[in-house]
Amino acid sequence: MPDQQQTHPHHPQTPGTPRALRLGVAGPVGTGKSSILATLCRELAGELAMAVVTNDIYTDEDARFLRSAGVLPTERIKAVETGACPHTAIRDDVSANLDAVEDLEEAYGPLDLVLVESGGDNLTATFSPALADAQLFCIDVAGGGDVARKGGPGITGADLLIVNKTDLAPYVDVDVAAMVTDARSARNGLPVLALSKNDPGAIAELADWVRSVLARHRDGTHIPTDPGPMAPHSHSHGHSHSHDS
Amino acid sequence: MPGLAPLLLGDGRLPVGAYTYSAGLEPSVAAGLTRDRIPALLRARLRTAAVTEAAATVLALRAAGRNPVDYGPVQRALAARTPAAPLRDASAALGRGVHRLARRLAPEHPAVTALSTIRPRPLRPVALGALGAVMNVSEEDLAHAVVYDELQTVTSAALKLLPGDPLDTVAWILAAEPDATAAVQEALAVRTPAELPARTPLLTEQWALQHARQERRLFHA
Ligand SMILES: Nc1nc2c(ncn2[C@@H]2O[C@H](COP(=O)(O)OP(=O)(O)OP(=O)(O)O)[C@@H](O)[C@H]2O)c(=O)[nH]1
Ligand SMILES: [Mg+2]
Repeated sequence: MPDQQQTHPHHPQTPGTPRALRLGVAGPVGTGKSSILATLCRELAGELAMAVVTNDIYTDEDARFLRSAGVLPTERIKAVETGACPHTAIRDDVSANLDAVEDLEEAYGPLDLVLVESGGDNLTATFSPALADAQLFCIDVAGGGDVARKGGPGITGADLLIVNKTDLAPYVDVDVAAMVTDARSARNGLPVLALSKNDPGAIAELADWVRSVLARHRDGTHIPTDPGPMAPHSHSHGHSHSHDS
Repeated sequence: MPGLAPLLLGDGRLPVGAYTYSAGLEPSVAAGLTRDRIPALLRARLRTAAVTEAAATVLALRAAGRNPVDYGPVQRALAARTPAAPLRDASAALGRGVHRLARRLAPEHPAVTALSTIRPRPLRPVALGALGAVMNVSEEDLAHAVVYDELQTVTSAALKLLPGDPLDTVAWILAAEPDATAAVQEALAVRTPAELPARTPLLTEQWALQHARQERRLFHA
């Protein structure tokens, strides 16, 4: 089928080299997505060829923040207008973001890693695999210790869940360990990382995780999965679809 | 009898990036347009930019049906009639989404492969002509889709920029029907790229140029 070929991640301009890994960063407003992008650029730009795409309610707030952080040459940070539909731009119609990613690859490629920050939306906004090969979902302790338990597709299905701003936990009466435990139990074995931009150990773990996804992307063993727009159903009648037989 | 293709072409949910475009509404609002003037703006667009857009699309559809396919004359004629660079850029950005869809549907179709030879990129009407050929729609249906899309784009953007009752927008579109029909007829009557009318109003161009320098935007044009 022709669509198999078109959405395959290894669809390089130069035969033999897979195109850049496209890593989405989603999560509610203000949870620290741009800061994570800045951290990743700081950690990885020395070893990887990188570029960034931001989506905002208003064009370029995030792009300006990242440019002023000085973590990447400014022309490698591109802002996309989303017509006030940040959710649509990463799922229902990813055209504008794909254009931006392709432009960056064309201008500065070959690239290893393109980070795409979604406009801060709600717990249901996740990236379609038509845009992102893998995605982080970012919640923070300041949003309350219950968020992880509430679930939602990003929390349950993103490739990595970040519980961010752990340094703030004592000020908002949140038990980070309990929040991480809740998150783990919602995720069926998918990884969870407790992060703070002031925690070098956690930052190193984050960078290692990205390196490992990139390695799998390159050797063709990473299969993009779609967390979908909805949390998986739970069946009240006592059996599960996937593990019958 | 109309099939599904003309409906798909006029559907605002067609995933080709059109929701990032306001068909000139955001620049007009920045220049002072108020909500009560939206019906007048719709009529104005139908007599101006929409005619050029639809006529160029029909010319591209005809070019797509010839052997070999050569979009050069219509692309050049349209670019020459779109002097404001931000409007050409917006058209090329929208054309890119349409091109991606056409490639997905029929990568080997001669109407689609000919798009890839256009530098820097096919403008939206040219890409739409190719998509129309792939979807096998008539000139009239395609022109109608373009004209309808113009109305739909302005009114959906209005929900973000000059918010009010969404039901109003349906009434506005229906009220614009006579002008929409006239725009379609005028577009169909254009025989050659040289005859393509240059209708984009000067104010639209000036506002588009100003918009390109704005920093806080929802829409790219
Ligand atoms: N204490 C603390 N503050 C943080 C941390 N990470 C980010 N912040 C702060 O949280 C605020 C929001 O951070 P951003 O990185 O802009 O968040 P965002 O998710 O990109 O925000 P939007 O793009 O507006 O949705 C800023 O004031 C950051 O300085 C952290 O690890 N600890
Ligand atoms: Mg941000």
